[in-house]
Amino acid sequence: MSKAQSEAAREHQVKAVFLFNFAQFVQWPDIAFDHTTSQLVIGVLGTDPFGSFLDETVKGESVNGHPLRVLRFQKPEDVVGCHILFIQIPKNEQLREVLEKLKGRHILTVSESTTFIKQGGIVRFVKENNKIRFQINLAAAKEADLVISSKLLRLAEVVSN
Amino acid sequence: MRFSDFPIRKKLMVAILMTSAMVLLLTCMAFFAYDFFTFRQAMITHLSTIGKITAANSTAALAFDSRGDAEEILSSLTAEQHIIAACLFDREGKRFAGYQRDTGHLLQLPEQPGKMGFSFQADYLEGYHPVLQGNSNLGTLYIRSDMGAIYERIGLYTLIVVAVIAIACLMAYLISNRMQRRISRPIQALAETARAISERNDYSVRVSKVAHDEIGDLTDAFNHMLAQIRSFNLQLEMKVQERTIEMEAANKELEAFSYSVSHDLRAPLRSIHGYMNIFAEDYASQLDDEARRLMNIILLNSRRMGQLIDDLLEFSRLGRKEITKARISMKDMVTSIAGDLKRTENNNRPVNITILDLPEAHADFNTMQHVWTNLITNALKYSRNKGETRIEIGSLEKEGDQVFYVKDNGAGFDMRYYDKLFGVFQRLHSINEFEGTGVGLAIVHRIITKHHGRIWAEAKPNEGATFYFTLSRQTS
Repeated sequence: MSKAQSEAAREHQVKAVFLFNFAQFVQWPDIAFDHTTSQLVIGVLGTDPFGSFLDETVKGESVNGHPLRVLRFQKPEDVVGCHILFIQIPKNEQLREVLEKLKGRHILTVSESTTFIKQGGIVRFVKENNKIRFQINLAAAKEADLVISSKLLRLAEVVSN
Repeated sequence: MRFSDFPIRKKLMVAILMTSAMVLLLTCMAFFAYDFFTFRQAMITHLSTIGKITAANSTAALAFDSRGDAEEILSSLTAEQHIIAACLFDREGKRFAGYQRDTGHLLQLPEQPGKMGFSFQADYLEGYHPVLQGNSNLGTLYIRSDMGAIYERIGLYTLIVVAVIAIACLMAYLISNRMQRRISRPIQALAETARAISERNDYSVRVSKVAHDEIGDLTDAFNHMLAQIRSFNLQLEMKVQERTIEMEAANKELEAFSYSVSHDLRAPLRSIHGYMNIFAEDYASQLDDEARRLMNIILLNSRRMGQLIDDLLEFSRLGRKEITKARISMKDMVTSIAGDLKRTENNNRPVNITILDLPEAHADFNTMQHVWTNLITNALKYSRNKGETRIEIGSLEKEGDQVFYVKDNGAGFDMRYYDKLFGVFQRLHSINEFEGTGVGLAIVHRIITKHHGRIWAEAKPNEGATFYFTLSRQTS
């Protein structure tokens, strides 16, 4: 692996952990779960940059009695029973369309895309001083009926579209 | 001064003050000990609460690897002045973020998390608290507090205890000062009255009763005793007076009797003696030897009886005579008497009279002359069978009294018969050995007694006798 490649791999490793951690600092409405012990699903839409990291991170873990699970989706139509969705689509135009479709479905959308917040996404990973930080669109989160812990907000850059 | 010698007033005060101070001290100490342990417990609770809050606040920082945020959260502990250090360890046990109060020197902080829970170390309190989000463990918080809070508390407590004890002692002093008066005042009054009575012999004083307690009873009993003593005293005085009057009367009667008896005896005796003398002068030549011998015996005995009656009269006269005291030079008196007596003494032997220094005396001149004459005459008389007469007259000081003495080397006497020595008509030697009527020393005894003095003697048969006498002590 080249240096750039290993750097990217480390970044994605951190992001995989962050995705898992988001589950601990975000509160979903009750209707997002079938019952109190049903799975909390972390989904990946589009290209999966994590490899096996994400699966390893959530393996055996559960949040508030909900066991974690990773699902991978190819098309937005496939996204069902998902709570956190990492979106990696090459074309920005498609992104708005995808987000439109996911509206009102209590999904914490996460992406690295620069226009993600503008287009109605909730969490965007950014790189700051060689560290992974994130921006949070509070209005979008509210629209999705998600409550984001103030502790998480402390660490985030709160933005709006 | 020992405690037992303190006046009751002070004893009461000391007892009350000591008791209250002791009770307070013990109470404060118990309270202090209790508070000290509860406060330690409270300190742990307090620190663990702060730990819990801090740990809860640090979850996101640990979860999202935000060291800056973690340090910011830890640095908010500045608000709690006794927390001197804190640090966060991540899930792997590596130190993630730290905080140290600026105390001037660097603290030694643990490199990795220890056992959960809080414990007191030598001079600080430390503890580990897990950082949990939901049920997932994100790391460990270490937190350390100094003992300043406890020291502050101890300081404050000491201050309060000292202030409370001081105020309480002051209050106890003021209250006990008032209270003790009710106990000690009546006792003091009793003691003072008792002292005054023993000094002035005034039994008419009464102590006033203050209260109906034991001291009141004591006061009553004391007053009752005083009344009794007073009435006894009066009764006794009256009785003594009665007896004295009776005795004086009896004495006078007796003296008048003995005087008149001896006086009345003198006339017939003189007549016997007178006629016997005429008889001897006129008819002696016509009598044979045996008749003359008998006649002489009658003459001798009538003369002796005359002497006896004279002495008896002298004795009884002395009893009635008042003595008039004046300053007398004993030295002059003794020198003159001894000189006279030595001159009239038949000189069948050397007579040696030594007169030592004699002090002046306050006594009756005539009777004192009688005393010295009698004692020196006796000394000469009873030593006349010795080869040499040695008489010493002197004085000595005994128990503050001036004692005069006449010492001879004569026949002396047996101390077994000492109690007969000063009796009237009592003789320790036969009349054939030494003449005399046995009145002399009785008269001397009487004179000395009239002077309120004492007379006594020491002797051994054939080794001489010493007569001592004192006169009433001079009260000028």
